[in-house]
Amino acid sequence: MAYAGMLREKPVITGVGCTKFGSVLATPEIKGLTFYELACQAAFEAMNDAGIDPKDIDAFYIGSMVSHTSHLYSHHTQMADWLGLHLKPGIHFATACSTTNTGVGLAAMGVASGKFRNVLVIGAEILSSEATDDPTKRKPLDPTTLWYWTDFGVDQAYAYHHSYDIATAYGGLPTLGYAKKYGIPMDKMDEVMYAIHKTIRTHSAKNPKAFIETTLEEEAKKAGFKDPFEFWKSRKNPFLAWPTRVKSALNTVDGASAYIISSESEAKKFCKKELIKIEGFHWSSSNYPWYGKDPTDWAIDKTSFETAMKMAGITGDDIDYLSVHDCMQIYHLIESEICGYFKKGEAWKAVLEGRTLYTGDKPMNTSGGRHGKGHAFAASAGAEIYEAVKQMRGEAKGRQIKDIPEVAVVHNHGYGMHSAVTVLKR
Amino acid sequence: MMPESIVVNFYKSLAKGKIYGSRCKKCGHFTFPPKAGCEACGAHNMEMKQISGDGMLHFFSSGNLPPMKFAKYHPYAYGVVELKEGPFFFTQIEGVDVKSVEAIEEQNKKLPMPVKAKVKKMAGMNIVIFKLVK
Repeated sequence: MAYAGMLREKPVITGVGCTKFGSVLATPEIKGLTFYELACQAAFEAMNDAGIDPKDIDAFYIGSMVSHTSHLYSHHTQMADWLGLHLKPGIHFATACSTTNTGVGLAAMGVASGKFRNVLVIGAEILSSEATDDPTKRKPLDPTTLWYWTDFGVDQAYAYHHSYDIATAYGGLPTLGYAKKYGIPMDKMDEVMYAIHKTIRTHSAKNPKAFIETTLEEEAKKAGFKDPFEFWKSRKNPFLAWPTRVKSALNTVDGASAYIISSESEAKKFCKKELIKIEGFHWSSSNYPWYGKDPTDWAIDKTSFETAMKMAGITGDDIDYLSVHDCMQIYHLIESEICGYFKKGEAWKAVLEGRTLYTGDKPMNTSGGRHGKGHAFAASAGAEIYEAVKQMRGEAKGRQIKDIPEVAVVHNHGYGMHSAVTVLKR
Repeated sequence: MMPESIVVNFYKSLAKGKIYGSRCKKCGHFTFPPKAGCEACGAHNMEMKQISGDGMLHFFSSGNLPPMKFAKYHPYAYGVVELKEGPFFFTQIEGVDVKSVEAIEEQNKKLPMPVKAKVKKMAGMNIVIFKLVK
């Protein structure tokens, strides 16, 4: 067990913001926006949500992963005036795709130390396109180049040059390993993966800020399939790396997310919303590979879950809402069992029974996850913090969990590998 | 005196058919490929040591999103190898069939199976791959 330090006081989340996830080249709500404006859209929503006067924000931390597409370094200097936070302490920080989960803990420590009263955390990412020498024009980006740049996040001394195969390592082998460990026949495992996908698509179709706005059933019908499972198994959904199909993986998108962390005493001065307490957090880092003989036994996530949950004084039984990093949807099963939301070997059955739907007794990833909501790397985790806060305040509208969650746990992976876990309580 | 690069020496040694890992002089933990620090105890006192080349293949599959530099080799088998010395290493596997998902599924049922390390020139570099021991 890692050292589980405690904060002297528990900061709160006072405001959240998130853009529509999609493409700045095509999605109407964000079309034509620059990196600056995308980040401002999320940040201003968070400030308005909190009801905070920008002059009371004492610091801002901005995260972004792929500098090749944002075409920025020093995001904090370039964004200070855009955000109305001129001369405030700003930093750029990143833990890849877990960036805006890590940001909760970083900001909480800044507040709990007494140095800052209120900290704004922002994540922004543009992956659809690359910048040109003209700031009004962006060039569409092909996936091979995007992944070439993204893979700078994985061991470049050895692993990448030894035939690195992301789809097999991240999706195929963990799925195969889970099926083998629990004796699930591979055709049944395909049904399980279909059930996970159907769930996240039900959620994304009800999330106006999600990239994918249709259910799987609607997509199948449009493609001429009466049975959505036949569509799932068809050539329209080939294997990315057997037994993982394309629809079990992420969709890269553009987007931004933001939230404000405040001390509880300060929050009460301006925030009219229910305050969401930061009860625990922890991070764990590992080089690649992060597993061995058992592709579902992940020490990195055991460490971050156990330590964050110890800090919060909770067990898996106390979690009312769980969000896991699902760049590959098999992680719904692996992570929910690591943290004790489900017993070992039980998550796949729960998924088939619909228990992880927003209407179920064990809801997960109601945003639509990294496929449905979309994966805007450094902004992705912040979108899940946004979702958890909305659920805990009872503001999630069409996808609202009926028994409003008291305790929510948000987990994210950062490429190469980083694990971040945040425990929230209302 | 020029500093010695662990990474440069690793790849240079491959050209001579020698595959090095690193062993911690303090706790004896073996790391592969070689690094400057010990992942088990944190000590910085590592010695370069050749691996036996013996290993066990636990899982493999084949992805359709190969990096740019390996695209011309697609499809290829990529798997989890447990070295006799202890570390796990992910690399290309020779001697298995990845032409169909049925073939991949059938062969995975027979794992774990022994494999042997081999140096192979791929994408302009010498790298370590493992070959199924028949």
